[in-house]
Amino acid sequence: MTISKVSRRVFLKGASIATGGLVIAVNFPANALAQKGIVEHTSVNLNAFIHLEENGDTVIYCGRCEMGQGISTALPSAVADEMEADWQRVTVKQGDADEKFGPQATGGSASIRVMYQPMREAGATAKAMLIAAAAKVWKTSPDNCFAQAHFIINKTNQQKLGYGELASIAANMPIPEIPTLKKKSDFNYIGKKLPRHDQGEVVVGKRIYGVDTKLPGLKYAAIIHCPVLGGSLKSLDKSEAIKMKGVSDIVEIPRFDIPFGSIGGVAVVADNSWTAQQAVKKLKIEWNLGENAIYNTKEYKQQLVANVEKPATLATERGDIDNAFKTAKYKMSATYTGGHLSHAPMEPNASVVWVQKDSCEVWASTQSPADIQKVLGQYLKRKPTDIIVHVAMAGGAFGRKFKCDYVHEAAVISEKTGVPIQLIWTREEDMRTGYYHSINAQHIEASVDDNGNVTGWLHRAAFPSITSLFNPSLKRATKQNLQDVTNHLFGIENFRAESGDAKAHTRIGWYRAVYAIFYGFAFGTFADELANKAGKDSFSFVNQLFDNNKNEEQQEQVQRAKKVLAVVAKKSAWHKRSKLPKGQAVGLAVHYSFQSYVAMAVHVEVNGDDIKVLNVDCAIDCGQLLNLDGATAQMEGAVVMGMSLALSTEVTFRDGAVINSNFHDYPVMRITDMPNVSVHITDSDESPTGLGEPGVAPFAPALSNAVFAASGKRYRDLPFKPLMV
Amino acid sequence: MTQSMIINGKEHDIDVDGDMPLLWFLRDKLELTGTKFGCGSGLCGACTVHVNGQAMRSCITTVSSLTDKKITTIEGLSQHGDHPLQQAWLNNNVPQCGYCQAGQIMNAASLLAVNTAPTDQEVQTAMQGNICRCGTYQRIKKAISEAAGILSKEA
Repeated sequence: MTISKVSRRVFLKGASIATGGLVIAVNFPANALAQKGIVEHTSVNLNAFIHLEENGDTVIYCGRCEMGQGISTALPSAVADEMEADWQRVTVKQGDADEKFGPQATGGSASIRVMYQPMREAGATAKAMLIAAAAKVWKTSPDNCFAQAHFIINKTNQQKLGYGELASIAANMPIPEIPTLKKKSDFNYIGKKLPRHDQGEVVVGKRIYGVDTKLPGLKYAAIIHCPVLGGSLKSLDKSEAIKMKGVSDIVEIPRFDIPFGSIGGVAVVADNSWTAQQAVKKLKIEWNLGENAIYNTKEYKQQLVANVEKPATLATERGDIDNAFKTAKYKMSATYTGGHLSHAPMEPNASVVWVQKDSCEVWASTQSPADIQKVLGQYLKRKPTDIIVHVAMAGGAFGRKFKCDYVHEAAVISEKTGVPIQLIWTREEDMRTGYYHSINAQHIEASVDDNGNVTGWLHRAAFPSITSLFNPSLKRATKQNLQDVTNHLFGIENFRAESGDAKAHTRIGWYRAVYAIFYGFAFGTFADELANKAGKDSFSFVNQLFDNNKNEEQQEQVQRAKKVLAVVAKKSAWHKRSKLPKGQAVGLAVHYSFQSYVAMAVHVEVNGDDIKVLNVDCAIDCGQLLNLDGATAQMEGAVVMGMSLALSTEVTFRDGAVINSNFHDYPVMRITDMPNVSVHITDSDESPTGLGEPGVAPFAPALSNAVFAASGKRYRDLPFKPLMV
Repeated sequence: MTQSMIINGKEHDIDVDGDMPLLWFLRDKLELTGTKFGCGSGLCGACTVHVNGQAMRSCITTVSSLTDKKITTIEGLSQHGDHPLQQAWLNNNVPQCGYCQAGQIMNAASLLAVNTAPTDQEVQTAMQGNICRCGTYQRIKKAISEAAGILSKEA
């Protein structure tokens, strides 16, 4: 969706009197009316995002979903900035599922990219209406008025009218066609270090997450799923479970074969979550496991490697790679692999759903409220817009909560029991029956000429792709899935991308950074391997690869990528790396993804097999920055998630089922592993882009390069140190 | 005779199955939802509360073991949300999703109650049972050291 479409949709809705109130045609302030008892209450909606109370208190709605990335501070702060609102007077509220907020599906690091402009316009529109209202009261020209910190000020006589006083009048002012936006130099909040709006609630335990929803008459459910995708219930003995005190129902949930529908399971309903969980353990269940019971990731990964080490299905080609290979001074090749990953957000999947005869109401941690409406609408045979979805704060999500199978399950249970249901998945179910980042193998062959230049690059990737969710018969990743290989910013004249066979045997889902995880790893690591083989400085070598890019359309991208790489080289003292103590080294990597540029310099100490990450310098170019602190936090977090997947996390399947179960056998990074992270942000006037994901990709290749420099050992398989489960 | 425990200064009868972990007594019975469910096995620390001042994982602590004990949850850590750790958390903008932070703060409070000047190593050792999947560890370390600085001055 283009920005202009979003804007139009948002602003055509226009203003309204929210509660009570007369339509006021007056030439003195509204609150005076209120004080005289003429008007009872006059809070107004200036547009879909802005609600003004008569006392000036302002609610700004966030339409995108909050899961810790800080979007519910970032976007409303852009509204407040353009509106000249005083942030202290602003309360942020999460918008329910409603198309008036524009697209709400929150993924692909797209929120800021898509919503920055509409949010500014929402604020600027409100400001223009408030100015028009004040001008009307003062019988002066709007040009004679300006807005500042929740007041409109009369330039002639310095009189002031508060936003609350003007609210009801402003609501009746015409909506400006094209609002005037502020200059960068006038920003109050955009690009500044504005703290999260909800931190105060977090530190006292009052922030309400999806898992915290309480309703009168609420019942609690726990669930166990068929361990293998595509399986079904063969037999169920519920006699022991149903006898338990506090257990009220046992509900079979058949597989709902649409994207984001339940994979099928059995749920227990009880007075509290713990009883429900205990009763699930007493169910005696046999499953028909189905055809995916053949799935073993160890063998599957070996097969992927075999599939990329032989000719595969052509995705894209340019130049004459065969000739480049034939005339090369030398050729080099390497194969890289990675395992499945589980998002494992700290808050497991959770929602409350109440299905009634004529209504369905949902409270859920979610990244995509419209998908909940779609799936529940389809299941209940109701219009999607009849499903009311309250978007709750998600306790982490990382892509997992884009998929609403857990909400669908709560709806099934509520429909069958007639009561509001809170379904919380246990950690074990979350880890064993989730959606997983693609297991993958990549093979690169490159040719190098007499000058040490890379002349040809063959890139074969094999991985079950997310597309398989929508097309289960898919045999391999599509050309579209490989587009970031094809469009990589390295300048390779003779290039070919091929897709190796990789049928999915489990549900593949977006995981923070998605394909950039393994593309970034393969490109970033192989470039370093090429540099080492050529006896060249890796930093200069990568710059040469960028300089070889003669594609006019990519020149700006190439320059921006080079710039962030140069920043981390400088900050990490790359050119003085030979002076580091024995066993220590720095590795570099840069990756462009989700339209943002991120480079990392990882400084390690290696002692035998022990890898200690000491420092990470991270440089980003995300265009115009929206929130300095939020951007910095996203990078710090990306380093940690990058470390987990580089060093230790992997989901293993045996006979179709996941054998990991909890954090003891899915060892995510802990505080003891935390390096010092320094984030360096490029000052830019370019269009703003997102940062939720791009920081994850460069970590693993930079780490592999650092470890190699320190020890001579090259890690090509993610994670470097898998736990043997 | 009914057994009871004191939660955030208030006496509560233990009127549930004695095997029920404190976590679910707090969340589902008392609707004190600040204490979070993360793993159910004492592996992640999201459910950390204080039992007689000491950090405990409420997801694996049965209510029957808590008769006459004094429980403090994040809601009761300070009267006005102004424990030095809570303030340091705000000063350093620690939370991202914030889900694990109640457990982090409670665990850190238990550490600082007995050691107002922990070394970096002591902080890490004490905090290694608390997972933050968003990756706020750098700020957690900084906030703890800041709060420790304030507490040791008061001491």
